[in-house]
Amino acid sequence: MNAIAPSFPAHVQTGALSIRNLSKTYPLKGRPVPVLQGIDLDIRPGEFVSILGASGCGKSTLLRLIVGLDPDYQGQILLDGQPLNGPGLERGIVFQDHRLFPWMTLQQNIALALKNHDLGTAQKQRLVDEHIALVGLRGYEQAYPHQLSGGMAQRGAIARALVNKPKVLLLDEPFGALDALTRVRLQQELQRIWVQERCTVIMVTHDIEEALYLGDRVIVMEANPGRIGEQVQLELAHPRQRDTALLFQHKQRLLAQLVGH
Amino acid sequence: MSPFKALTWLVSPLALLALWAAVADAALFPANLLVPPLEVWRSFADLLATGELQEHLAGSLSRLSLGFAAGALAGLAFGTAMALSDTVEAYCAPLFHTLRQIPSIALIPMLVLLLGIDETFKVVIVAKTAFFPVALATVEGIRAIPRSHFEVAAVYRLRWPTLVARIALPAAVPAIVTGVRVALTRAWVVLVACELLAADSGLGQMIEMGRQMLRIDVVMVGVAITGVIGFALDFSLRRVERRLSGWQVAGR
Ligand SMILES: Nc1ncnc2c1ncn2[C@@H]1O[C@H](COP(=O)(O)OP(=O)(O)O)[C@@H](O)[C@H]1O
Ligand SMILES: [Mg+2]
Repeated sequence: MNAIAPSFPAHVQTGALSIRNLSKTYPLKGRPVPVLQGIDLDIRPGEFVSILGASGCGKSTLLRLIVGLDPDYQGQILLDGQPLNGPGLERGIVFQDHRLFPWMTLQQNIALALKNHDLGTAQKQRLVDEHIALVGLRGYEQAYPHQLSGGMAQRGAIARALVNKPKVLLLDEPFGALDALTRVRLQQELQRIWVQERCTVIMVTHDIEEALYLGDRVIVMEANPGRIGEQVQLELAHPRQRDTALLFQHKQRLLAQLVGH
Repeated sequence: MSPFKALTWLVSPLALLALWAAVADAALFPANLLVPPLEVWRSFADLLATGELQEHLAGSLSRLSLGFAAGALAGLAFGTAMALSDTVEAYCAPLFHTLRQIPSIALIPMLVLLLGIDETFKVVIVAKTAFFPVALATVEGIRAIPRSHFEVAAVYRLRWPTLVARIALPAAVPAIVTGVRVALTRAWVVLVACELLAADSGLGQMIEMGRQMLRIDVVMVGVAITGVIGFALDFSLRRVERRLSGWQVAGR
């Protein structure tokens, strides 16, 4: 049962993200403080990129810029060569907290994401059902978020982000608030889903193992101001085993580098 | 036990009734001042039979609905404006927070001089009483909507009608309904008080007339009805509140 998927399948054509000389400042007591500086990044269509960095180094800010929640930055963000302008349905995001609306059922939450898609009701319904099944939540369609466990709610958030079939999926510490066992389960699930969907993924995390297990590439972000540090290319097909020697070596090295000094 | 459990709330009113009957029976107070429950009940039946009670009730409730609707709607509009606009906030907030500290009762002398003791005065004071709690709850309800809700809406490019109907309103409505509930009971209390002072109909006027003619039985009927109506108004809005915020209560 070891269906080996190629690391970069040829059939994925769109979802290339180019970030050129991206900088961002936040005003602090009236003075601009650089949060991101000179970020250059090219992400291939269908690539899974993990971004690893200490808390406060600007990872969430970077994702917020890419998803289009904050238009105030310098530099360029291009999706398939086109400059981005605000949020768009071709980009989905999952935050650390699931952010499902508490007064809507799981089904309604996911359907709301399809609100601006030009599809018939039946087709939307089918997409919603499909994605609920994809994340393994069949039977919980009518459940409210407070009736779901943390892990289930986060699965729901992933389904909501994927229901528009985005070219780029952004994950901001998606499993950071979950217990260790649930986290491991969901990492596996995410790998399965990604192998199936093959969209471009940028996942921010501060968990080295998670970054290595899932990423085709692991990018270390440095702080003050946030910039790209070391990059690790992982030529290892998905789905992966956790205990691969290669991953272990990288882990030791990155750990020494991040915590060492 | 369970069929009786549903009736536990009856114990305290019955105890109060028994105490009242016992004290009246012991003749600690003159019988025309502390009227025994049974006689009050008879007066109630009489007032009901002559239609007098219904007339007073209709007078009070129509004032309440008119004044309350005006005040609550104005409060909703003003609260929304103040929550969404920094300009409105900057110009109005200090005045608003000062005015809302003034008890409605304290305005009665001034309003009577300005508006006379007719309908206008009572409707205005009910509207004023309803306005402030609703406005305050609306401001706070809207302000308390987490920014993350709006970010999710932006990510899925929801247009503003959807944003208002599916996100802002459901998020703010439980708080607003609580404000409306507080406003309604306060408005009712203030209205009856105003009718006591100046009116030619209404529950308060019935109480005042009873006092002047030393018909304490009529006074007590009026007092009891005021309480029951207030309870009914509050109870029904509580039901609405619970329905609208079920997701919140269950979530905690
Ligand atoms: N809205 C904001 N206003 C001012 N400073 C901010 C804002 N958001 C984030 N920051 C600052 O920017 C830096 C990076 O934040 P963030 O991107 O959230 O970091 P990370 O996700 O890597 O933990 C932090 O120092 C944070 O204090
Ligand atoms: Mg963050």
